[in-house]
Amino acid sequence: MDFSFPKEYQLFRRMVREFCESEVRPLAKIIDREHRVPFETIKKAAELGLMGVPFPQKYGGMGGGEIGYCILMEELGRVCTSTTTVIGAHTGIGAMAIYLDGTEEQKQKYLVPLAQGKAIAAFGLTEPQAGSDAAAIQTTAVRDGNEFVINGTKVFITNGDIADIITVMAVTDPALGAYGGITAFIVETDTPGFSIGSLENKMGIRGSSTAECVFQDVRVPKESILGQFGAGFLTFMKTLDIGRASLGAGCLGGCRAALEASIRWAKAREQFGVPIATKQAIHFTIADMAAEIEALYSLVYRTAWLIDTGQPHIQEAAACKLIGSETAHRCIDRALQIHGALGYSRDHWIELGWRDQRISEIYEGTNEIQRLVIAAHLFRPHGLRIPA
Amino acid sequence: MKIIVPIKQILDPQGLTFRRDKERMFVNVEEYIIGPASKAAIEAALRLKGEDDQVLALSVGPPRADDALREALALGCDAAYLLTDDAFQEPNISATVRILAAAIEKLGGANLVITGHQSGDTAAGQVGPRLAEALGYAQVTDVCALQAADGELQATRRWDDGFVALRALLPAVVTVAPEAFPPRYAPGARIMNAYREWEVTIWGMDDLGLTEGDLTPRLAFRGESFPPPLEVGEEFRGDPETVAQEVVTALRLQKLIG
Repeated sequence: MDFSFPKEYQLFRRMVREFCESEVRPLAKIIDREHRVPFETIKKAAELGLMGVPFPQKYGGMGGGEIGYCILMEELGRVCTSTTTVIGAHTGIGAMAIYLDGTEEQKQKYLVPLAQGKAIAAFGLTEPQAGSDAAAIQTTAVRDGNEFVINGTKVFITNGDIADIITVMAVTDPALGAYGGITAFIVETDTPGFSIGSLENKMGIRGSSTAECVFQDVRVPKESILGQFGAGFLTFMKTLDIGRASLGAGCLGGCRAALEASIRWAKAREQFGVPIATKQAIHFTIADMAAEIEALYSLVYRTAWLIDTGQPHIQEAAACKLIGSETAHRCIDRALQIHGALGYSRDHWIELGWRDQRISEIYEGTNEIQRLVIAAHLFRPHGLRIPA
Repeated sequence: MKIIVPIKQILDPQGLTFRRDKERMFVNVEEYIIGPASKAAIEAALRLKGEDDQVLALSVGPPRADDALREALALGCDAAYLLTDDAFQEPNISATVRILAAAIEKLGGANLVITGHQSGDTAAGQVGPRLAEALGYAQVTDVCALQAADGELQATRRWDDGFVALRALLPAVVTVAPEAFPPRYAPGARIMNAYREWEVTIWGMDDLGLTEGDLTPRLAFRGESFPPPLEVGEEFRGDPETVAQEVVTALRLQKLIG
């Protein structure tokens, strides 16, 4: 059993860390305040291949697989959750759906520019009446000759207003339900009838845009069908299964930032004449953080390895998202407590990290849904497996 | 144009702590990186590189220097050569220069050799000038701006509190300072390819036609010690206006300002 990263990943992590420290960290507070990740930052990331890390080089990607992508998410999560969200929604779910189920023509036409960062992707699932209950969507796509006409509204769509391409799940046969009645489509956002409604005014990840996307008689050719006709629900669920591992990686980065800041501050802050780092209460808190981070780290990269080697990973990926977001919650909250009133100040990034973290327990499937996914696997025949 | 860049892999200083009272250096994290001056040399070469130009990276070192050369490939070098042999184990500058010169001659010489002005660890600053002598090339050291075309080199070199502009005929050896050429990031796809697709050529004693005699050191290593503590200047405390007054007076007394 060899747990070490291959050397290309070690060098990749070093490059990404330097990029994050120099190009992203100095902007994190501005990104939060101005509600956008600068186009220039995305462009720089794209030049280094960071907008298409998991995809093969023949599709314009970096060829880093899920492991490489998790490294990127972890390092970004350490410095700026908004940037992590923008790149994550673009790569991990938006473009990923096309990579998983697109035809060769669709990959050449859409995935290549997306992976090169020349176009931005979004993933259109959530609707006012359908979030956790994804199959309850009401957006429809009706066939009209060689075209489909899409009508409906998607909400809380990350990157919605900056995306060039959005993958959309729509009902094509209400009688058939989730399996058979829902189809995925690739929609270019300059298609007539597509418009942006309102933008969310969020608690955290304020640098990433979260938009209402309105489809009013949006006509797309039948070549826009992503995956099998009627199998859109499966395409979307499969995409989310993979996205959850990298979401856990982003949380892991946030946890690391919280731990690093806590250690630094505990050494610097003096109370009762000594640094608070000499106090056992601080030791216990920091040790708990470090131990939980170690567990999350193992889970995330083992799951990434399962994905890269084509093994079953749904249960583990759900665990990454569940454990990742809840560990991040605890770590950033403990870090805030260690920082005291300073951590509560708008001037300190801990306050930003605390606001940014909360969404990870909600988006890409709430943690309640992750628990249902895990339990559903356990209750299958032979669902509870003891490692051989 | 063929540009050859000799690089040095060093211990990452970020993993080290220094204890002056014990006169010791502690290695907390043993990680190796391309030295900052070598990385600047790669950057200087890549900025000069046109479509028909070739940038080749060389390194004398143990087998782990393979990582430094793969990083050089990832950054944009066209080929990489690891000069390693059990007989090279005891590093000394005269042997390093002899090995590099043999490798450059084996590669058919270069139009331009760019290397770091001083390495990040021993900082002897000798490899560049000695290599120029060994190859019979012109040399320009501590360069901060560089152009080369039509068999001629134009360089700007730091000089006291200013700069000097120099011209030299190619072939030449140029040494660069780290801050002069801030390195680029290696593109992710090149990082993957550097380990998965591309090769580092390995040359030993026999490949380079060297004998034990060529490696005889001309310098003897007699030990190392910490430099004397820096003299701490005068400290001024108080409100900004008073401090500013005191600083100005002190500078006048030193005749540093009029």
